[in-house]
Amino acid sequence: MRVRPDVSVVVIAYNDAGRLPRAVRSALGQTLGGVEVVIVDDASTDGTGEAADRFAAAHPGRVRAVHLPENSGGCGRPRNTGVELARGDRVMFLDSDDVLDRHACLTMVAAAEETGADLVSGLCVRSHLGPKARETPWYPRLYRRRAVHDSVLDHPDLLYDTLSTNKCYRRDFLLDRGLRFVEDLHYEDLLFSAEAYLAADRIAVVPHRVYTWYVEADADRPSISNRRRELRNLADRLEIHRRIDRVFRAHGAADLKAAKDVKFVNHDLLLYLDDLRARDEEYRRRFLELARPYVAGLDPGTLAAARRLPAIAAYMVGRGDLEGAISAAEFARKKIPELRAELVEHEGRVYWGERHLRDGPGREILDVTALGIHARPLTELRPATTATALRRAGRRARLTGLVANPLGRVPAGARLRGEVELRDRRHRRRTVRFPAEFAHRGDAIEFRAGLDTARRVRPIGLVDPLWDARLIMRVNGDRLVLRIGLAGGGAGVTGVPLPVRPRLTRLAGTRLRPYETEAGNLSFVLEGGGLLTEPFKAALRALRHSPAFRRAWRGLRRAERSARSLRAALRRRLTARKTKIAVFNRVLSRLPVRKGTVVFESHLGKQYSDNPKYIYRELRRAGVPVRAYWSYEGSPKGFPKDAALVRRGSWAYFRALARAEFWIDNQGFPEGLRKRKATTYLQTWHGSAYKLMGFDQPALKNATRAEQQRFRRAVERYDCFLVRSAHDERTLVPGLGVTAELLPAGYPRNDPLVRGSGGDPELARELADLRRELGLDDGRTVVLYAPTFRGGPGGRPVARAGLPFDAARFAAELGGEQIMLVRPHYLCRTVVPRGLRHAVRAAGHIADVTPLLLLADVLVTDYSSVMFDYALLDRPMIFYTPPEPEPAPPPGRAWAPRGRESPGGYFDLAAHAPGPVVEDEDALFGALCNLDAVRDDYAGARHAFADRYGEHDQGTAAAAVVGRFFGKGARRG
Amino acid sequence: MADARGRGRDVFIVCNNVEEMGGVQQWAHGLARLMSGRGHRVILVGITRAQVPHDFGGPYGEARPYKVEHLHETWTLPALPWRPRTFRARADVRARLRDGRRAAAVRRGAERLSELFAGARPGGVVIVAQVWAMEWVDLARTRGLRVVGMCHESYQASRRSSRYARVRELYAGADRMLALTAEDADAWARDGMANADHMPNALHVRPGSVPAEREPVVVCVGRLAHEKGVDLAIEAWAAIAERHPEWRLRLYGTGPREDDLRAQAARLGVAGSVEFAGVTADVPGALGRASVFALPSRQEGLPMALLEAMAAGLPAVAFDCAPGVRDLVADGRNGLLVRAGDTAAFAAELERLITDPALRARLGGEAPRAVRRFDPEAVLDRWEWLFGLLHRGLPPLTVPPPAAPRGATAPALGMDPVRDDRLDL
Repeated sequence: MRVRPDVSVVVIAYNDAGRLPRAVRSALGQTLGGVEVVIVDDASTDGTGEAADRFAAAHPGRVRAVHLPENSGGCGRPRNTGVELARGDRVMFLDSDDVLDRHACLTMVAAAEETGADLVSGLCVRSHLGPKARETPWYPRLYRRRAVHDSVLDHPDLLYDTLSTNKCYRRDFLLDRGLRFVEDLHYEDLLFSAEAYLAADRIAVVPHRVYTWYVEADADRPSISNRRRELRNLADRLEIHRRIDRVFRAHGAADLKAAKDVKFVNHDLLLYLDDLRARDEEYRRRFLELARPYVAGLDPGTLAAARRLPAIAAYMVGRGDLEGAISAAEFARKKIPELRAELVEHEGRVYWGERHLRDGPGREILDVTALGIHARPLTELRPATTATALRRAGRRARLTGLVANPLGRVPAGARLRGEVELRDRRHRRRTVRFPAEFAHRGDAIEFRAGLDTARRVRPIGLVDPLWDARLIMRVNGDRLVLRIGLAGGGAGVTGVPLPVRPRLTRLAGTRLRPYETEAGNLSFVLEGGGLLTEPFKAALRALRHSPAFRRAWRGLRRAERSARSLRAALRRRLTARKTKIAVFNRVLSRLPVRKGTVVFESHLGKQYSDNPKYIYRELRRAGVPVRAYWSYEGSPKGFPKDAALVRRGSWAYFRALARAEFWIDNQGFPEGLRKRKATTYLQTWHGSAYKLMGFDQPALKNATRAEQQRFRRAVERYDCFLVRSAHDERTLVPGLGVTAELLPAGYPRNDPLVRGSGGDPELARELADLRRELGLDDGRTVVLYAPTFRGGPGGRPVARAGLPFDAARFAAELGGEQIMLVRPHYLCRTVVPRGLRHAVRAAGHIADVTPLLLLADVLVTDYSSVMFDYALLDRPMIFYTPPEPEPAPPPGRAWAPRGRESPGGYFDLAAHAPGPVVEDEDALFGALCNLDAVRDDYAGARHAFADRYGEHDQGTAAAAVVGRFFGKGARRG
Repeated sequence: MADARGRGRDVFIVCNNVEEMGGVQQWAHGLARLMSGRGHRVILVGITRAQVPHDFGGPYGEARPYKVEHLHETWTLPALPWRPRTFRARADVRARLRDGRRAAAVRRGAERLSELFAGARPGGVVIVAQVWAMEWVDLARTRGLRVVGMCHESYQASRRSSRYARVRELYAGADRMLALTAEDADAWARDGMANADHMPNALHVRPGSVPAEREPVVVCVGRLAHEKGVDLAIEAWAAIAERHPEWRLRLYGTGPREDDLRAQAARLGVAGSVEFAGVTADVPGALGRASVFALPSRQEGLPMALLEAMAAGLPAVAFDCAPGVRDLVADGRNGLLVRAGDTAAFAAELERLITDPALRARLGGEAPRAVRRFDPEAVLDRWEWLFGLLHRGLPPLTVPPPAAPRGATAPALGMDPVRDDRLDL
């Protein structure tokens, strides 16, 4: 028999008799045999101690129970006591409300023995209980892969995980280094973990889940870490931080202190700011008293190193501007945050408000240009909305308020529509809407709405006491959903109750009283006026709290929930793409084909553009009687009005495809759709290839057989494939595995490039509109920057990329004579510095690139296929190919793909390019300065390039396609 | 106390089949032989038998030092339990009956397994080499034994196949789940398998034996199947073959795609320089005669062929298709790694080796050192350490695991599985 167990699990408990057995069982049920349990009962009064004793009696030699003589009020003393009693080689801590994974001890001991580490740390998962049950891993980025660190100094990120529970400590290490929890402060974990990390000679990390931290949904029984609200906690936390600073100083670990301070700003401070909005004045004052000196004492570099919005919040705390700090903190933590700050613009940079711009380092910290808030679509922005007045005249009431208009994003001429909405908080589908009017008023937008609650809102009464107010605002078709906030404690609003008639008669209430929610928003509560109401409600309350009623109610709620989830599942199943494709293949495609129907799609429905657009226009111009459908993804804005529009993936879309005589697109209709013989599929493709395509791409070569076959089947649907040169036939056709007839007509989208816009009034109008919209009428040279797709981690497009050169420098050096339009690949988004719009403008929102090519006097690109099109215009081209940064590992994977790569183009760009190929900014600007030289030096190369890759582009492609398929006696497919 | 017993444990190695010719079988017999050498009593269990059993005798045809058992003489029933998805499928009475027969057969097999396990002394271990076999082990009585499940392929490869769901379901209850490399184990752990660990394959040839004569041959050893990517090797070869007429690409192995591959070689005009050498019993000899090793696989676990090639001092060009490959080849030091599927780069690296004997010598000279940690002794030590860990201390009490609260399931931190239509066992 071994004398010492491998692991001692110290379970601490205080008044938790209900959950303690679960925790102890998880420690006893380990796959590792040699585990002993030490239960430390912190002077509980509810039978926890007895439960512990029962375990000790049932498992002699494996479980011991000790009882502290008096309650310690924290976790420190019980844990210290447990360590003193532990006999195992290693120690782990477990709280009575949490559990260890079944394999935790074995994993920890294995890692410790393999690496010889003093301290092994594994993944902790927070399991949220209650109706919204879910699990969230705790700092998963630290636990992507196993690792061994000789010192925490090599990997200071570890300090982010300050829990003491998901770790396994060598017991002698704790004793030799005198590592103990402090006993008089909360957040003892933070200090203990910091000391342990620093003292450990070797630290091992394993990606395994070892610990489950249960988070209760109801705050009735707040655990210690849940009681953020209490100021003492903040005082404790700050004291702990000061002590940690001392520890770091003692170890000479300045880097760690910096990293910890950054974490304090990024994480800890935000937690407190988060629920500050609902606190009273006194609380806020005390908060500021505590937090301000600490924040002011942070190193100057801390805020610069922290994430921008938390840094702004901390900066505001340091300036004593709590309101501003709360706004920034909220913006940092919410997915679609409310923008309460008034963004300002100075010299091309966007700043988070005017207030503190000139104090100290304000300019640097408040600069939020890089966040791209100014470039976000309106729908991803929630401008702060406040109710300013609620007036009642008789039975009618009128609500007025203001919606902020950051940086004038809602233009003066915008079409504004919308309504104020009252929504039953418990049944969100019960809403009542009141039309609202909008008007620009100074920097903001005013809204007014008549709230005719007496007639229109009919609450049931008693079951639906709370109604939230929201403002729906449509700006030129974009729908913004805004919570209505209250300013100045709701003066002018909260004192005005609205009349209402509940369905359960007036006994249930007579008016909706406006009040301010914890988050500071406007809501209404149903209140009774009559004398009868209160006793009636009291009786109901008594009934509601009776156990029988609660049981019945819970049962009802559960039944309702499961019915709802069943309905949702059924709906998902019925509307799933898989279902639709199956129905398409088995049912819809048996419907008769309707002669003369054409379904058009460009770039998977994202745009009205490219070859399909120009074929469609030619059909219209030639007056061919076709019934045309255009597929759109997202918004139908910009699609032709004389075509039937179908949303990609909708039933209407599949119906249209099933019955169409022609499919015309440039990328691919949904994989898995079987095209029948009677339908002719014209694949126009979206550009000649420089980059490898299809089976020439390593990713597809490496794919499984099933994946390859899926691709092949999708391509085999083509009946006709448009090519513009022998180059296409050599590259695209074999690369994609095209088996269709090749139609060497050239690209319809390039007709205007060859022929110009003359003779096409529609295009001329489009160009004039575009010129006006982009403001290109001042005679400056137009530079179009159109780079190709930029893949981020995992091959997905980069969500928001900056420009790979200094736009400000372009504006300063060349902005006098030139203006740059930036058009990223249609899947990418580029942040164009807003303040430079006199010289650099975004053109990513313009769907069709052809008019942009016509407007541009010079093209700058990297590997985009627009090079082949633009060459037809015989204007200067510059190839800007800065070296790409090392790709970061894709999410969910710890390693970046390695291995040598081939250059990955169909030809050597440097040898064939019809313009200078430059790799750095200086050379790019140099070339832009000498456009004449570029034009002259490369004239020969340009002609050769255009001839080579645009062989069949003779300006008659659209007509040729229409003649081939829609002309008199045309062959079909 | 288990540790005191140390040597001489009862070890059961359970495979789908231990008689067919295949990588897992070779591994199982090899491990059984090695463990027997350390004094363990090994019983190799096959769920089914092969029609024509392969002889897994020792190098010199000596008798097996371990026992071999089978649960079923033949297996004609469906491979997997019946999981009807639609209402119509549920109404299929014949399938239901067939599944009933299948379940009864599995129970009979598991009963046989229980009998075998019952003979084990305390401290025994069951190694389940393939997830299909786990269904039997799960039903069998394993009291007093520790169960270890193994995954002989990369995490990504599992993920793309139907095995993924079965590994998650059946191995979740195992005391340990072993992947081939630490990186794969980490991937499983991230995916919620808290029992994931790793155990490399043992190398059965002694590294570092320098061959006398090298021929101008690029050698490739593997089944001629899609996932082994031999078509990619031929494609790469076609790009350089013309410039090196004295060199040959020699393919060992056979498989379903052989005809396609011959046709491909002819189409690309390299039929003359690509040799289909068939199956060889003497892999070390075949490797010893070649100058360069190519691993064009699309999917791998810890490729034994690459391991053996490196042990034989061959410089290798390999697609970076799995952690097992990265684990072996340090690019530029003991071999060359190429982005998976990038045949142009593969061709370029092959050509570099073909034209640069000094590079071949440098990489090939370094290669045996890199595979020393797969030495049988080292791998056996790791196995025994794991056995000790699993049997350390008192056996755990029979307490039911804590009931998971509502909605709390193992987190799937990775992506959704990409399932292949194929069904591999």
